[in-house]
Amino acid sequence: MNRLRAIGKWFDDRLALGRLYDQSLGHRIPFSSSSWWYVFGSATLLCLIIQLVTGVCLALVYVPSPDQAYASLEYLDYEQPLGWYLRGLHFWGSNFMVALVTIHLVQIFLFGAYKYPRELTWMVGSALFLATIGMAFTGQTMRFDQDAYWGVEIIVSILGRLPLVGEAATHLLQGGPIVGAETLSRFFTLHVFVIPATLIGLLVIHIRLVLVLGISEYPEPGKVVDPDTYADEYEQVVERTGIRLMPEGGGKDLVFSALVLMAIVLCAALIGPKIPNGPADPSLIHTVPRPDFYFLSLFAAFALMPPDLESFVIVYVMPLAVVLLFAVPFISRGGERHPSRRPGAVILVILVLTGLFTLAWEGVVSPWSPEMDAWSGVPVQPRFVEDRSPLEHMGATVLQAKQCRNCHALDGAGGKRGPDLAGVATRLTEDQLIRQVLQGGGNMPAYGNHLSPHEVSALVAFLTTLHAEGQAPARDSASWARSARESPGSR
Amino acid sequence: MKEKPLLLAFVLVAALGCDSLPGRPDPADRYQRPSEVEDFALLYATHCSGCHGADGRNGPATNLGDPLYAALADPVEVRRVIAEGVAGTPMPVFAQTGGGTLTEKQLNILAEGLKAGLNGSESASRLRGAPPLTAKAGVRGQASTAQLARGEQAYATYCARCHGAEGTGGASGGSLLEPAFLGLVSDQALRTTVIVGREDLGMPGWQGAGERPMTAAEVSDVVAWLGSHRSSAGDAASGVSIK
Repeated sequence: MNRLRAIGKWFDDRLALGRLYDQSLGHRIPFSSSSWWYVFGSATLLCLIIQLVTGVCLALVYVPSPDQAYASLEYLDYEQPLGWYLRGLHFWGSNFMVALVTIHLVQIFLFGAYKYPRELTWMVGSALFLATIGMAFTGQTMRFDQDAYWGVEIIVSILGRLPLVGEAATHLLQGGPIVGAETLSRFFTLHVFVIPATLIGLLVIHIRLVLVLGISEYPEPGKVVDPDTYADEYEQVVERTGIRLMPEGGGKDLVFSALVLMAIVLCAALIGPKIPNGPADPSLIHTVPRPDFYFLSLFAAFALMPPDLESFVIVYVMPLAVVLLFAVPFISRGGERHPSRRPGAVILVILVLTGLFTLAWEGVVSPWSPEMDAWSGVPVQPRFVEDRSPLEHMGATVLQAKQCRNCHALDGAGGKRGPDLAGVATRLTEDQLIRQVLQGGGNMPAYGNHLSPHEVSALVAFLTTLHAEGQAPARDSASWARSARESPGSR
Repeated sequence: MKEKPLLLAFVLVAALGCDSLPGRPDPADRYQRPSEVEDFALLYATHCSGCHGADGRNGPATNLGDPLYAALADPVEVRRVIAEGVAGTPMPVFAQTGGGTLTEKQLNILAEGLKAGLNGSESASRLRGAPPLTAKAGVRGQASTAQLARGEQAYATYCARCHGAEGTGGASGGSLLEPAFLGLVSDQALRTTVIVGREDLGMPGWQGAGERPMTAAEVSDVVAWLGSHRSSAGDAASGVSIK
């Protein structure tokens, strides 16, 4: 034992490990900051470590060339023992990392922990947040499947709208004027060298700042941050209640990190990696590309906004949002920290998160996209076929063959771009249906030139049967008034 | 020391069990280019089920799921119809050569699959005396007056019970003489429905329509009689008026 201690001392004399411990893991933090609310940063760090380890392992097999990237993923998924599991860990690690870094950022914002003297910590943290998003996007591109291909198309289209630098930036990112053979190499370089190096560099600064400035104490209502006195007060709190981060203060971090680790391991084992959805080939028209969940909000926002607004949002709103993110500690530098005294901050968080989640849900459903296979692949439900005449059957066939179903669902099945036709006969009279089919209107194109009179007659004959049992079909007001006049008691 | 066998067992279970974890990608879910799909069920589901029904029954278009259809269908003719479509009806062209999406191989798979039957195939013993499903190529409006008279007679015998004495709809069958219906339906589709029936919708086939099975001649006659009610008004060339 004594010999072991002697060896330890020999190393300590040279590496000063004890002093390193005192200044890092052993540094003193306020007792109040050993809280379940303070565990998200360390869990994000754990995710980063998982991503680095699994990423290095994946890079041993992955081939970053357009003709082989997809095949190397399929090799990992189906051939290499547990290759799929490695992909699963990396995929779920990234999902958790994006989620946790976001939660960490929201928690810091709500607790006012960015206030004096931690402005720089917040700014570096914001840069880390953006770098993580950058990793997630470039990582999605590594799959080089349909999602990746169209995701890149969208991002470079966004970049291309920037004034002055737009064209040069897209050229640089794509390695040419269009998405081509060089593009994947560019994104691979970003994903594996540039962004991780930036991320680790920023992380060193972030942790350095946390160690130098100390972890913020748990906010108390009524306790105000005053830049003139804060440093002294914080020192006194640490003096009075301070505990060492390790082993005393960091127990909750360890427990939470262990839970996150277990969750990632389980998700990878039970749900598995994201299966690439077809090679990056723009000639495949039967594709429904969707970004990974963290970009669904952006995807939906751009799909839903009027085209005139796109450039304005790209050139002004998005950069302004980034500037505002970095400027938070200068907009509210001191004052109250507890969320109960900062209703504006709480409302802002609720609004932003509600907006993001609502948009993300819209992105999942994406009702604006026609379902291009519905006409031939989504059957007319038997209850819309039963008890109908040959003409009405023909009308249902016309509805399918003319691809109406790609935009119009029948009782939920089919495209969501136009209204569901299941109850259309209660909303439109026969004449209105004919007019709508022939002339279109309300976002629907006119089909008068694409349908023969027989087809229109058959189609409308079918559509007029689409009302719930016991629910009267729509009638025009003139005929309603006439029938009411003729037999007053019958309505 | 006690934990060692336990640990060993755990590692073994983990190593052997990993291959059957639910997260493991199933090769069946592997992406296939649409032109590479060779599974009949999948091809049928994505290209035919929209109009012909999920299992070939209860769809608005011709009943392909009846075992009788499978037994009587001529795979060469079925393949031709899928490939080329039927002009003037909602049946589109599916062959790549005609602007559709199906390859030659996929057309063969679909024709063979439909011949094998979506719900099995009728046994030969029940098919004795069945009229041929595919009619000899005839041209619209060339039926003789005598044939039309026989057709009207056959209609009264076999069809009028449900579709009404005049053909304009009756107790349990809709009108067969709507100009738009006749304008969009092919004689072959009428013939197939008369022979195979729509058991899924309560319409009998050639065997069950009357007291005795329909003869091949009666089937041809009734189709000719129905077809004679077509008018040229309402074809693609003429206009439609909004009421």
